[in-house]
Amino acid sequence: MPRDGPVVKGDSSMIDFTVNGNRWSGEPEAGETLLDFLRERLRLTGTKCGCRTGDCGTCKVLLDGEAVNSCTLLVKKLDGKSIITIEGLAQGDELHPVQKAFVETGAIQCGFCTPGMVIQSAALLLKNPQPSEGEIVAALGNNLCRCTGYVKIVKAVQLAAGLLPASPANPAQGIGAAVPVYDAVNKVTGRLKYLSDMQLPDLAYGKILYSPHAHARIKAIDASQALALPGVLAVATCFNTPQIKYNSALRFERHNIPADEMIFAPVVRFVGDRVAAVAAISPGIAAKAISLIKVDYEVLPAVFESETALRPESPQIQPGGNLVAEIKAEAGNLAEGMAASDYVFTDKLCTPRPSPLALEPHACIANYEEDDKLTVWSTTQNIFAYRILLAQIFSLSQHKVRVIKPPVGGGFGGKLEMTIEPVAAALSKLCRRPVKIELSRQETFFATRIRHSAVIEIKTGVRKDGTMLAQDIKVIANTGAYTSSALNVLGAMSDKAFKQYRIPNLRYLGYPVLTNTPVAGAMRGYGSPQLVLAREVHLDRIAKALQIDPVDFRRRNLVRPGDANPRNGGSLGSCHPLDCLELAAKKFGWYKWKAPSLPAHKKRGIGVAVGLHGNGVYPVHADITTVTLKLNEDGSGIIYTGAQDLGQGLTTIILQIACDTLGMRLEDWTLVDADTETTSWDLGTYASRGAWVAGQAVKSCAGIIAAKIKEKAGQVLNAAPGELTLSQGEIRGPNGVLALRDVVWKMQQEDGRELIASYSQMSSFNPVSYGANFAEVEVDLAQKTIKVLRMAAAYDVGKAINPMLVEGQIEGGIQMGIGYALSEDVKLDASGKVVNASLKQYITPRAEDMPRLDVLLVDNEAEQGNLGAKSIGECATVPVAPAIVNAVVNALGKDIDIFPIDLTALLAQGE
Amino acid sequence: MAKKRLRLTVNGRLLDKEIEESIRLLDVLRDEMLLTGSKEGCGIGECGACTVILDGKAVNSCMVLALSADGGVVETVEGLGRRDKLHPIQAAFLDNHALQCGFCTPGMLMSAKALLDENPNPSEAEIKEAISGNLCRCTGYVQIVDAIKDAAGRSRGQRG
Repeated sequence: MPRDGPVVKGDSSMIDFTVNGNRWSGEPEAGETLLDFLRERLRLTGTKCGCRTGDCGTCKVLLDGEAVNSCTLLVKKLDGKSIITIEGLAQGDELHPVQKAFVETGAIQCGFCTPGMVIQSAALLLKNPQPSEGEIVAALGNNLCRCTGYVKIVKAVQLAAGLLPASPANPAQGIGAAVPVYDAVNKVTGRLKYLSDMQLPDLAYGKILYSPHAHARIKAIDASQALALPGVLAVATCFNTPQIKYNSALRFERHNIPADEMIFAPVVRFVGDRVAAVAAISPGIAAKAISLIKVDYEVLPAVFESETALRPESPQIQPGGNLVAEIKAEAGNLAEGMAASDYVFTDKLCTPRPSPLALEPHACIANYEEDDKLTVWSTTQNIFAYRILLAQIFSLSQHKVRVIKPPVGGGFGGKLEMTIEPVAAALSKLCRRPVKIELSRQETFFATRIRHSAVIEIKTGVRKDGTMLAQDIKVIANTGAYTSSALNVLGAMSDKAFKQYRIPNLRYLGYPVLTNTPVAGAMRGYGSPQLVLAREVHLDRIAKALQIDPVDFRRRNLVRPGDANPRNGGSLGSCHPLDCLELAAKKFGWYKWKAPSLPAHKKRGIGVAVGLHGNGVYPVHADITTVTLKLNEDGSGIIYTGAQDLGQGLTTIILQIACDTLGMRLEDWTLVDADTETTSWDLGTYASRGAWVAGQAVKSCAGIIAAKIKEKAGQVLNAAPGELTLSQGEIRGPNGVLALRDVVWKMQQEDGRELIASYSQMSSFNPVSYGANFAEVEVDLAQKTIKVLRMAAAYDVGKAINPMLVEGQIEGGIQMGIGYALSEDVKLDASGKVVNASLKQYITPRAEDMPRLDVLLVDNEAEQGNLGAKSIGECATVPVAPAIVNAVVNALGKDIDIFPIDLTALLAQGE
Repeated sequence: MAKKRLRLTVNGRLLDKEIEESIRLLDVLRDEMLLTGSKEGCGIGECGACTVILDGKAVNSCMVLALSADGGVVETVEGLGRRDKLHPIQAAFLDNHALQCGFCTPGMLMSAKALLDENPNPSEAEIKEAISGNLCRCTGYVQIVDAIKDAAGRSRGQRG
């Protein structure tokens, strides 16, 4: 971002320092940070901004060999210093050993934390070339990663230090190969351009004014002082922008869900709701202008708790009332099941509202051009849905709206629903310049989406022997001020209730409720984490009451391969939660475990939980993607896909699958992805549908291309297509070999044919992925801390297309689950304001919080689908929190009803 | 190099900025004001792609030092008309297929406008003379001359 206005001469004189060996001499601007200097003046955008408060480490650079946060360092203090940024670490194309190790070990997913992590690791090895694991973890203490669980990052540092044997070079790149994400080198060198790194000519900068009231009517807005500020280009409010209602979670054309949100509404419904926005020639001027807007509010009564909001006397937040809907799903006969039970257990549990907290804050650029063409670059998980929404809001046809997703620094659901994009578009339409909005870390906590908190009442009927006969689940979920994805999250939750245990008589009731709080939406797991946390904690209480071992209790009741969904008779596919349970129990040593003798203030405990999640949205919605493959006449190829990689590696496995069928290498492909104008329609990256739907599509599409190649090659080689194989860029037959490039060239020059194919995959099944987690924790009653010491985590994902990426998903999912159990919750004060909207106050697991992990995959291939593969992205995190909670309960001998665990409050209860 | 203050009215919008002495008017338009309609085809005043109207006269903006235009009034192609309300010369260019690649078009339009502002009823020879400094490589100029004649007729019609 350019600095404001004319250069303000500081009292310090000229300074002189070097950046990556190049000398820089000049006068810093007042208050200029090294981060802004590097990114804006030198355009060295490899150094990332994840918080601007020195709490995430993404902006680290080497200052005379020490790793420092550049966001809190003033340029004026750098006279005579030597700075090395991520761009300066490699020697030409020769990567630094740490960079090489990060690539090789799979320590890179979205890549947004990577530059800071690499710098920090390089600094450590400069000082301490042979660090212990503890020293590595300690050194990474101020660097946040949200994808990897730090496991492979620590391994990368060990590899770079020569403490791990180098793994033998493996040329395999196809299905089953553990290859790094395809853009790992660009990520580890800081070359990859994320949205915040993008510049356009004439770019203006947008800032948003948020409501200070939880509920208020806007009587008037006076923007005259803001508009009079030099450099201000436009002010957008509810009085000059389209008053079209939409639902940010819309998925496809004609998707029927309640539309109750607007770009700017005349009534604001939570502290942090959008009131106005400014476009200006610099972010600083835009921020100043925001402070000059005067809003006249009529404050209305507000309600924050979902159970309270259901009372008739509570303020009504939307015209239809605060209850969005009742979601009901049933199997068998609940009353009969309960009546036939020997015991009935009832619990009420409260789950928190964590932030998805991708390291890359939300950002977008909107360019509303002269001919009513709107182009939006966004950190999104759903380009095609945004296209529909933007077309509706601005009354444009879809061909006049183009949405592009550049590389995204993590999503976890938090970038699924549209938030800031129509604001930027409205500003761009007003000032006819491209407008960029980058949210601060603080804004991401209240102005985007959080997980639904839930109050879950669960009642279970069991026989004495531990067989569950009936279960009644009632979920009241807080969806915040707008409906958003309330129906889909509660619906997805209801579906999972029937796919975990053999409970013949089961009722699920879901009540999403509007409150005057930040909007809830998609987050990794999408309903499963709430349900499974409550259910698994509840099951442990039952097991304890029946004096049955928790693993035995689950073994008795878990679904088995061949089971049918009791609700509709549908097959659960090849489901192996039991194998997960056995595998992880064995590795963990569950039955052999004994609490060690410890000082009185330390308590150990172990816990188990099973979790699950789906694969796509079938049969609720048509679950479709289309992929196009084209081969060039030199034997290289281009893949066009609307599938949207968020850093998890979806497009990497797409490339692997194409390589596998066509006998090509990863480096033979160019990827054209995630652009509504150049790629075919895709439902979006959510619901763990990527590998399941796009993976199958590319497999089928590559099969079509392979058939065409074999047909032509067969003519040349005088062989039947069935006799030919594709490998290493060649077609081999009984009578000879032909290079792939020759086949494509012959098809072009002799037959006038382009070697191109498209394939549309429409999902017709929704298998279930499972995981079983075991955790050992130590609770320190004196320090009031909980440490997860070790976990064994086994998952059933069918065939792992890329085992390294699957492990990475699991390790990152465990990290997120630890946060869900122990610390992550967006908290509000009595006025409804978020009180912990910073990385200092919102506590998320760091490297030292990770336990020792045994990650295991159940060896199998799913029966359904042409790959035998199932999803892992969301399932990874589902069983984690309940396993940890159950371990804490085991350690303390005390039930816990409210999450995340507040140890101080919990210990005070007994006193 | 020293900077000096430049005040320029471009399409009715005032620019007031310190600029270096060596900066050309074309650079100010394209780089400072982001008005990229005026094209650079040669940089030495031989092609006319950068033609703008300065104080009523068509000039090659690549040959004008910006500071020499201080206090002046500039019209560029962006000030002619909008998509929903084209200037008669622009409309005539479209109707007569007077543009192909479009790169010479902004300069042609500005030369034509300067001509018609001064001489609402030019002869074919006068039209050819007025665009003699504007190179076109696509059209053979025939349809451009037709368009300017047509535009002159339209403007007369409007006045009448």
